[in-house]
Amino acid sequence: MHVGLEHYLAVSALLFALGLFGVLVRRNLLVIYMSLELMLNAANLALVSFSSYKNNPDGQVLVFFIISVAAAEVAVGLALIVALYRKRKTTHVEDLTTMKL
Amino acid sequence: MNLSLISLEICVVALGMALLLADLWLPPGRKRLLGYAAAAGLGLLLVANLGGFGVFGSTGTAFGGMFVQDGLAIFFKRFFLLAAILVLLMAIEFSDRISAGIAEYYSLIVFALAGMLFAASANDFALLFVSLELITVTFYVLTSFQRARLVSLEAGVKYLVIGALSTAFTVFGIALVYGISGRLNFGELAGVAGQFGDNKIFLFGLLLVLTGLGFKIVAFPFQIWAPDVYQGAPTPTAAFLAIGSKAAGFVLLLRVLFTAVPDITAQWTNLLIVFSAVTILYGNLCAIPQRNVKRLLGYSSVAHAGYLLLGVAAMSTAGQDRSAGGSAMLFYLSGYLFTVLAAFTVITLVMRHLESEDISGLAGLNQRSPLLAATMTLAMVSLAGIPPLAGFFGKFLLLKALIEQGAANPGCYCLAFTAVAGIVISLYYYFGVIRAIYWSPGPAAAPPIAVSRPIRISIYVCIAGMFYLGLFPGVMVTVTTEAVKALNR
Repeated sequence: MHVGLEHYLAVSALLFALGLFGVLVRRNLLVIYMSLELMLNAANLALVSFSSYKNNPDGQVLVFFIISVAAAEVAVGLALIVALYRKRKTTHVEDLTTMKL
Repeated sequence: MNLSLISLEICVVALGMALLLADLWLPPGRKRLLGYAAAAGLGLLLVANLGGFGVFGSTGTAFGGMFVQDGLAIFFKRFFLLAAILVLLMAIEFSDRISAGIAEYYSLIVFALAGMLFAASANDFALLFVSLELITVTFYVLTSFQRARLVSLEAGVKYLVIGALSTAFTVFGIALVYGISGRLNFGELAGVAGQFGDNKIFLFGLLLVLTGLGFKIVAFPFQIWAPDVYQGAPTPTAAFLAIGSKAAGFVLLLRVLFTAVPDITAQWTNLLIVFSAVTILYGNLCAIPQRNVKRLLGYSSVAHAGYLLLGVAAMSTAGQDRSAGGSAMLFYLSGYLFTVLAAFTVITLVMRHLESEDISGLAGLNQRSPLLAATMTLAMVSLAGIPPLAGFFGKFLLLKALIEQGAANPGCYCLAFTAVAGIVISLYYYFGVIRAIYWSPGPAAAPPIAVSRPIRISIYVCIAGMFYLGLFPGVMVTVTTEAVKALNR
């Protein structure tokens, strides 16, 4: 079977939808954060496949930026979730109810 | 490649790193004073930039058209520098409530400023993404900086999840736009965007990019994080979010809508009108029952994003000459800078020893410090849009620009009516704050509030700005009209 651009895009769209579903449905902060990373990587896959099939390297360069920024985001994000866990002893979103009106 | 164009950004990043290094050698008692060094450094850069000395005055593009230094970029860079200086002064006043790492707090403000400066010049989706993320990631840390307070951490986590979600949307949108058009540069995209006007995937990608920007500017329906984050974050962070992060979102929005895809934006006027109207109503209606001042300002920030979007809607209807709506928007943002920073400075000083920022904490402020009471009153009056302050003239210009477009699109009249209704609603809750200041009995024997000299200067700057823009708007209107010429075709 020949693997074309549309196959890559279908996988990318599927990953993105899975990630979004995870963010909306799951209740654990760490799993939500994993799903967010899945969404970013879905976009990376789309960028790389477009770039490769169009013979245009711009997209692949952008992917390098996205990967490095995502790494910085994960470093900050996990530190934040750990700090919250130490204080609150939970990583469930239902328990984040200090501020309400 | 033209490195001299980014000399301002290089100086700001170097200043941030110098602050981090100085932190290693200074004794703990002196670290707080680093904030004055940072503010002075940024002040020098602002003066150099205003004077247009040497490399700071040049315009052009760099890095293969990715970075553009034009009137709009220069206007926003001065705007961000001024905002960062006032926020740094506020942060020094706030430093007794930050248990450790105050020097890092200062340097993170400076790094967020660097992100905003790059955003002002972004002319390519790659730079748009990187500058947006530089702002967002530093704000994750700035928001949760009071690690001992649960509310601060909670606000940080909420900002993190929603921020990362909007980043994912933006990146996927960029991938789709790039996939269909093969371009990342705004200038090149403008040449080909017209032919993709009915390509569903291209339009969907653009909408996803706008989602990410909507998160930054706090527009409905991407505003859910704002009230909680404004309430939980340290006050200087909330102030910088309200003015810096929002303005960065708006400058990127202007670039994407009017430099990259002007033909498609012209068809999206109705969409912008609906978003603007819903944002105005949502922000103003939800602000009514609030009892926490910072949360109230969070909802008010949503409403003000709506007023600013009204200017964008007016710009999208105007065909060739977009200067009326654009200059009104920039004017409004300038007025908002002085107003909102004045309000947050007062909150920083008055709520120092209180557990939460309830409106009742302002009671009797008139006896404790007439200067602060007057400042808060002026800020609320300006936010509500009452003459003769900056907020009034900004709203007037925005509505004027919108109604001029009414002949082209009747929806503009509906939006103008909604905006006026929103302003009337907002009078109620802004005056609730003023009532608490002057007509509520304060706690017995509350000590007068000491106002240090630098904070006094920053308060005078804010008051002068509010009055100057309201009474003598002519100069500023000329400046803003000149700045938005970059967006005309």
